[in-house]
Amino acid sequence: MEKILLEAKGIKKSFGGVHALQGVDFKVHKGEILCLAGENGCGKSTLIKVVSGAHDADEGEVVINGHKYTSLTPQDSMREGIQIIYQDFSIFPNLTVAENIAINWEIQGKKKLVSWKKIEEIARKAMDNLGITLDLYLPVERLSVANKQVVAICRALLDNAKLIIMDEPTTALTSKEVARLFEIIKLLQKKGIAIVLVNHKLEEVYDIVERITILRNGKNVADGPIDEFDEVRFIECMTGRAIEKKSYRPDLQSTVEIFRVEKLKREGAFENVSFTMHKGEILGITGLLGSGRGEIGEALFGITPATGGQVFIGGEQITIRNVQDAIRGGISYVPDDRLTQGLFLEQSIGLNTVIAAIRKYCKQFFLSYEAMESGMTNWIKELNIAAPSSKPPIKTLSGGNQQKVVLAKWLDTNPKILILNGPTVGVDVGSKSDIHDILRELAAQGIGIIIISDDLPELEQNCSSVIIMKQGKMADTLNKDEMALLSDKLRD
Amino acid sequence: MKHDLKYFLGKNETIIFLIIVIISIMIGIINPAFWGISTVFNTARAMLIMLMFAMCEMLIIISGGIDVSFPAIATLAMYGTTLFMTKMGIDNIFIAFLMGALIGVLCGLFNAVLTATFGIPALIATLGTSSLINGGMLTLLGSRELTIIPESMEGLYKAALFRTELPDGTVSTLTPLIIIPIVLCIGFYLILKYTMFGRAVYAIGGDAAAAKRVGFRVKRVQYMVYMLSGLIVGITGIVYTILMRLANATNLMGTEMMVIAAVVIGGVRISGGKGSVPGVVLGVLLINIVSNNLIIIGIPNYWQKFVIGIIIVLGTAMTSIRDKRIVSSPKI
Amino acid sequence: MKKKSKEIYKRFIGNIEKNILPLLVLIVLILIWAAIFKPDNFYTAGNFVAMAYQIPEFGILALGMAICMISGGIDLSMVGIANLCAIAAALTVTKTGSAAMAIILAVIVGALSGCFNGLMVGFFGIPPMLVTLGGLQIFTGLAMAVTKGAAITGIPETFLVIGNGLILKSVPISLVVLLVSAVVLHVILKFTVYGQQVYMMGTNSTASRYTGINNVMVNIRTYMISGVLASLAGIIMCSRYGSANSDYGSSYTLLTLLIAVLGGIDPNGGKGKVFGVMLSIVILQFVSSMFNILRFNSFLKTCIWGLILIVVMISNYWLQNRHRVRRSKKE
Repeated sequence: MEKILLEAKGIKKSFGGVHALQGVDFKVHKGEILCLAGENGCGKSTLIKVVSGAHDADEGEVVINGHKYTSLTPQDSMREGIQIIYQDFSIFPNLTVAENIAINWEIQGKKKLVSWKKIEEIARKAMDNLGITLDLYLPVERLSVANKQVVAICRALLDNAKLIIMDEPTTALTSKEVARLFEIIKLLQKKGIAIVLVNHKLEEVYDIVERITILRNGKNVADGPIDEFDEVRFIECMTGRAIEKKSYRPDLQSTVEIFRVEKLKREGAFENVSFTMHKGEILGITGLLGSGRGEIGEALFGITPATGGQVFIGGEQITIRNVQDAIRGGISYVPDDRLTQGLFLEQSIGLNTVIAAIRKYCKQFFLSYEAMESGMTNWIKELNIAAPSSKPPIKTLSGGNQQKVVLAKWLDTNPKILILNGPTVGVDVGSKSDIHDILRELAAQGIGIIIISDDLPELEQNCSSVIIMKQGKMADTLNKDEMALLSDKLRD
Repeated sequence: MKHDLKYFLGKNETIIFLIIVIISIMIGIINPAFWGISTVFNTARAMLIMLMFAMCEMLIIISGGIDVSFPAIATLAMYGTTLFMTKMGIDNIFIAFLMGALIGVLCGLFNAVLTATFGIPALIATLGTSSLINGGMLTLLGSRELTIIPESMEGLYKAALFRTELPDGTVSTLTPLIIIPIVLCIGFYLILKYTMFGRAVYAIGGDAAAAKRVGFRVKRVQYMVYMLSGLIVGITGIVYTILMRLANATNLMGTEMMVIAAVVIGGVRISGGKGSVPGVVLGVLLINIVSNNLIIIGIPNYWQKFVIGIIIVLGTAMTSIRDKRIVSSPKI
Repeated sequence: MKKKSKEIYKRFIGNIEKNILPLLVLIVLILIWAAIFKPDNFYTAGNFVAMAYQIPEFGILALGMAICMISGGIDLSMVGIANLCAIAAALTVTKTGSAAMAIILAVIVGALSGCFNGLMVGFFGIPPMLVTLGGLQIFTGLAMAVTKGAAITGIPETFLVIGNGLILKSVPISLVVLLVSAVVLHVILKFTVYGQQVYMMGTNSTASRYTGINNVMVNIRTYMISGVLASLAGIIMCSRYGSANSDYGSSYTLLTLLIAVLGGIDPNGGKGKVFGVMLSIVILQFVSSMFNILRFNSFLKTCIWGLILIVVMISNYWLQNRHRVRRSKKE
């Protein structure tokens, strides 16, 4: 009978009317590798924050190493050996790699003075543990996302951690780095350290995890050894619905070319990307983070324009040097970072909806608020956006509805090509399904849809073909009959 | 890996240093008297005040804030202390520095409350306190220039560390007050590099939210930054009184821009998190050499403000562009 | 008929903002304060006329400050531009006698200065605070270089009438300029594509880029507007005082910042309406007038402006944090 390291009982937490956790239990044994899973918004982030002391639970208690806490501080949590690696890593872009790695140690040591020699020693040791070599004196802002995460992991491993919680750790790592991470996790387990991987994709952690706890809508849904779960049961527990193996097959075998890209390249991001899209098709582009999948979208939209290659819309070539060129050519882009890139949080829902196509609401120089209002209400209805009216600030909407507004914003411009980067990240199940339906309809109407995503079921179910990117090059193209091979091909 | 030649050549400090060398050579060609010890003494004297202000501003900007109220604080320290001492007949240099420091700390505390506790954007907060302090002082204490200063201050004014004689018979001296900024620079350098407080300043300037999560006491550090800065600024006011041999109510006002420019040119990022003492020293040196020698280059008096403005804009533009290039360069 | 005019009113002014009401209350309070303490000085035709002449100078500058802040920036160089334009106008009118040419030239100078600011901010991405502080030096320095430090006097009557004359024998020309500027700015912000883009860019400049808004052009336009407004203020100042100099109105920078903030402009960008700014301008004019009547010297006034700015910011903080959800004490 293994000792229980951490047990949270009956945790309730609300934020002004939103019940994030409604009586959740959570248990971690010493030295076990556990997966905490759930869709976005299920409460797993809140649970982590409660356990780390960042949030105070409204009700319930947390028992760590036999010590009972009703009100946990971050210092208590860290003292008990709980370390969290958040998705944004909490690292300092302006400080060096070495200092970032050693910073917790510095603070815990309560020292007043800094010994750079010691810092270098510590950082080097931590990196050796992971088998990584990074330039210790590089300011972290110069690092790629993957390497930033490595720095964060190095830091977390330094303290006398008894439990390390990693929030979506594999998203930014290549398969080699994932393998190495898993090796380290096993090493840590041998030392008696427990690891919790917070994740929403089973296949990524299936090989390493021993037990899994699933949350949905702030409540416990399942808890048990990993071999009792397969893909189907996993998704059922996460979403509450049976998995729908609805696949998209274009009805018309159209030969009308709507979009063609030839030998597109961008220095340092991707090269030799070529594909052709016909009416009715939905193209998927996938690959690990850093493979160039996102960069293709941003190049086609003119954010970071391509440095070589040609783009043809409806057979005519267009040059895309900036965003205005792209929009004029009929390309729209739903970015992956909704909060920073897609939304104007403090502004109204309505304004967020019409801002891209705002020129068409002008009647002789001046904006017609009537026209804008009717445009706003039309889109709210058409995309089934759960909003009381167009007036409230958009930050009051849920992630799924916010994403629909971003979608509406671009549809308002009557695009010919719609590129979406991570279209259903952080979106609830209902909205996700709605968005997929909308995309299919658009494709059938002749709008070229490109979905850039790492959500394999999403790609399998919605795309007529998928391009797999590896390290900036097109590694593989799967057509609709080969979709089942997707996950295998990706992990090669 | 650690520090190779390319790294040194690309550093901001190196570039500024080269510019200073080039400009000095240019000035020296036009006016060979530039290459004399007296130039060093005079430059030191001219730089003194700005250097002390720049150290404080550097600390605040690295921590993610900004302060345009320091001239007002220094003026209050100088004017208030001198008035008080002459009225009460106190003649003790240490009391002068003490009072100046105290006034400075209290003003710094006020700034800290507004920015750290009430979250008012630092620019607006310090614009407000600048008007409040200077306007209030002028109202309550008057605006007459005080030319009679305590004896002990006069004494320090007359003292000299080194003297040298110029060909025309005049004597150029290096004031002992130069020790204060030298000590200050060394002190700040050590604090920023070798104390946790200094590292906290950098961390908070880099990402205040992350700093809080990692365990730094963000508000506490912010309070200390503004109060320490206030203390030094107050002392600077007293130094100014000694140097100028008078206490003036409005001279220092308006110098914010030059100091901030010197700091930014010296490599301190306006958004916080980056900067170093050597860079700021070079920045102050550059601004001083240029503004004090414009006459020699042949730029008439009334063009000076314009030329200095252009230099400031160019200098800050260059560092901004450099920063942006670094941020958007390909990631390793 | 009535319903339609109400609709037009509502659509033009917009729904009553939350911060308009406190401003109206403030105006009433100030009027009461004046009535109690100095009714014989404040409530005279002479005083109201004087106020009508004083308001346009800093009022127009405040409008310029407001639009720059809505765009997410700030313009600390407006006073410098105003003086530079005043000097340009003064030189032109004293040399050619044509007031019309003087005005045109001054406005062009203002637009170019603003364009400079906008380019630095939009194209080179330099923080607006730095750009406009440096710009202040440049414009003031240019003014100083041109005048060699002296003031320009001897302005002909045709020009003096702008700052001192009346339209329709009752309304000061300068006041009309202020009102027209306010209306034009309101229309621009509410009814043009550019106006909406200013709000959006001020809210989130990254998202505005991803939405296809040309941040560079929006910035250039915004600072050009503040430059032109500064030039109008300069023309009025020169005309009123009958002379132009390089360092008039240096206290206006703080005042216009205060007006903008009091008037509901969020220093972080993306929020604020012209109507609020206008009310704020009126408030500060009343207060300034009372200060004059109470014989406060200019130092005391500066001190109190600083105090009011701080008080306004603190009350904004309290108002915002009342609505925020009570988070756990750890936050």
